[in-house]
Amino acid sequence: MPQREFEITIGRTGEVELHVKGFKGKGCLAAVKIFEEIVGEMKSQQQTSEFYEPEEQVQYRIDQRH
Amino acid sequence: MSAVCILTPVVIMAWPAFSAAVVAAASSLGYQVAAEVNSQRPGEAVRKQTGGVQLEIERSEVVTNQLGRDQRIAVSREGVTVTFSRDARGKASLCVIGNGRSDEALRALGEELSQAVVQQYVYQKLMDEMRSRGFNVVEEEVSQDRSIRLKVRHWEN
Repeated sequence: MPQREFEITIGRTGEVELHVKGFKGKGCLAAVKIFEEIVGEMKSQQQTSEFYEPEEQVQYRIDQRH
Repeated sequence: MSAVCILTPVVIMAWPAFSAAVVAAASSLGYQVAAEVNSQRPGEAVRKQTGGVQLEIERSEVVTNQLGRDQRIAVSREGVTVTFSRDARGKASLCVIGNGRSDEALRALGEELSQAVVQQYVYQKLMDEMRSRGFNVVEEEVSQDRSIRLKVRHWEN
């Protein structure tokens, strides 16, 4: 299970600055959407280099024993 | 880091939550609750104030299912009284009065307090929603500039 980290600063005017960490690819957009729903309107958004990396894939190996 | 964004709060809440946010914000700035009115007849318990400076909280809506009720809460500090209420359009508004103070000074005090109310609302809403969605707040601090910093972790399936 990947761990996601968020740094949230609620300014004294109530404006919220959100740093989303631990995502590769566009998965962070879903997380940002959650906070947008909670707080209000998106004023600005800036993607960092990890946003453009390939999205994570999880592989499971199952061995069958007889 | 994957993204950095700035969110502008939209304040939509029922009167009890609004009133609680006012009390919390006022206490943090040294105000005391002077009166809270929840009357069936407008103006019954507290006369509507005239004069002073009128402000409203932008992007706010105080939801009520008790139309016609006069709901207001007043807080005071050092001769300044700030009365919060729900205006006719449903917006949160406030009236700041204080003898011997200029309108600019009253406006500054009102803006400081209304911003603190919005900050308190956002903090409480974030904490409630994050808790219900399984986010863990691992760090919390209030900076000298009164901004609140939270570090939050979430494990995803």
